[in-house]
Amino acid sequence: MKEFAVFWGCTIQARFPFLEKSSRLVFEAFKLPYRDVNGFTCCPEKSLINNVDPKAFAVTAARNVSVVDGLGVDLVSPCTGCVSNLATVKEDLLHNPGEKAEVNNLLKEVDKEFTGEANLFHLVPFFHDQVGKNIIQRKIKKTFAGMKVAIHYGCHMIRPSHALKNDDPMDPVKFDDLIRWLGAESLGHRTKMMCCGQGLDRVDQHENALHLAREKLVELKKIEADALIVCCPSCFQQFDNNQFLMIREGEKIYTPVIYFTELLGLALGLSPEELGMGGHRVDVGPFLKKWKEQLDKAGPSEVIDTELNVPGALA
Amino acid sequence: MLKSHLNFTLLEECRKCGACYEVCPSCIALPGYDPRAVIKDILEGSYEKWLESKHIWQCLECHHCLEMCYQHYGFEDAMTAMRTIATKKGLYPPQIKRGWAMFEKTGRLGEPSKPGRKKYGLPEPAKSGGDEIKKLLAILKNDTSGEKADKG
Ligand code: SF4
Ligand code: SF4
Repeated sequence: MKEFAVFWGCTIQARFPFLEKSSRLVFEAFKLPYRDVNGFTCCPEKSLINNVDPKAFAVTAARNVSVVDGLGVDLVSPCTGCVSNLATVKEDLLHNPGEKAEVNNLLKEVDKEFTGEANLFHLVPFFHDQVGKNIIQRKIKKTFAGMKVAIHYGCHMIRPSHALKNDDPMDPVKFDDLIRWLGAESLGHRTKMMCCGQGLDRVDQHENALHLAREKLVELKKIEADALIVCCPSCFQQFDNNQFLMIREGEKIYTPVIYFTELLGLALGLSPEELGMGGHRVDVGPFLKKWKEQLDKAGPSEVIDTELNVPGALA
Repeated sequence: MLKSHLNFTLLEECRKCGACYEVCPSCIALPGYDPRAVIKDILEGSYEKWLESKHIWQCLECHHCLEMCYQHYGFEDAMTAMRTIATKKGLYPPQIKRGWAMFEKTGRLGEPSKPGRKKYGLPEPAKSGGDEIKKLLAILKNDTSGEKADKG
């Protein structure tokens, strides 16, 4: 596997350091060739920077890509927005030589050059396509058999598809696959592909942000999802922080929110404490409790089965 | 001003279509949000009233419209153009102003949390490229003020 730089993005490092923790732990567990590199900035956030200055948007994203281009490594991010923004600009520039030349002219001032050679991956499709089912299933020690979860892809994991090219933009499957490989059931639901709505919080429309979060959380309660699985810090903020605020106001909703790296970490045998899951606002205790009951019910054979069930396991 | 941001030929088709209204999460969930009305006003030259409206900030940039559009265009492009013009006129939510100021100063929208890193045993964060962004933004700023001076 090619070496890759991790693009943490602003939100995870500023607000959710425990998500960085669980991501690092799973990278380590799979012995993936990841690196921390100097020189990244905000991706930049599209709704903010692009609205104010589209040129600054393009140059900032191109500059970030040029950092990995220059090092000859790929890029992986646990944030959907970051990858989507970087990939959108990369695709634009690769198709507009004039614009690319203009951007590179500017980048020369800071000794950088955008070539667009580096692959840009979001962590979920990366685990699906680059790590793959066999290696994942060989590594996991505990499965989520008996657990029913709802998956929230997050718009920018898969869209815009002309730039990301990683799954069906309207009917994606890869996140579902991963969850099933870990043994959990992925519940179908009406709001599965709905935008989380966190963007509204960034334009001072908090009530509307809550309104969109509520649409999904009410449905999740109804279908009795054990957890909502996300892999985007914006979606996480929307469903964890904002759900916490709504519960505090007495709203009858409750679904723990689990980051994909945490779910994977748990399956690898890491503890919730190691993974930093105490950092969540909405209590994950009931999810963990039910999971433990399922594991106890299944007995140890389940674990061994998954380990033996992969080609080459007995070789 | 709008013509430089938007393709009016595609928008004309858009006015006749309206299909993506059905998949747009904001159209479904937020009363009063209707890009079709904005597009009609853009084409008729009477879009000014939307610049102060909260609705143009309700596009979530989820790209649902872009993906399903047979022109690979989208409601989103119209809303982005309106926001860019509104921003130029200083008509934007306070958070956008704060965010931009932070970005100009540091190249980021937030700095890595020091206590958080300590708590979770995370290594020193990598160095940011903020200085290079500052330099690039300064060049861009000079370029545009040059353009304005040319015109004036
Ligand atoms: S990008 Fe904006 S206009 Fe398009 S579907 Fe999403 S919210 Fe609606
Ligand atoms: S953006 Fe595309 S799909 Fe939506 S109304 Fe316009 S032409 Fe139709």
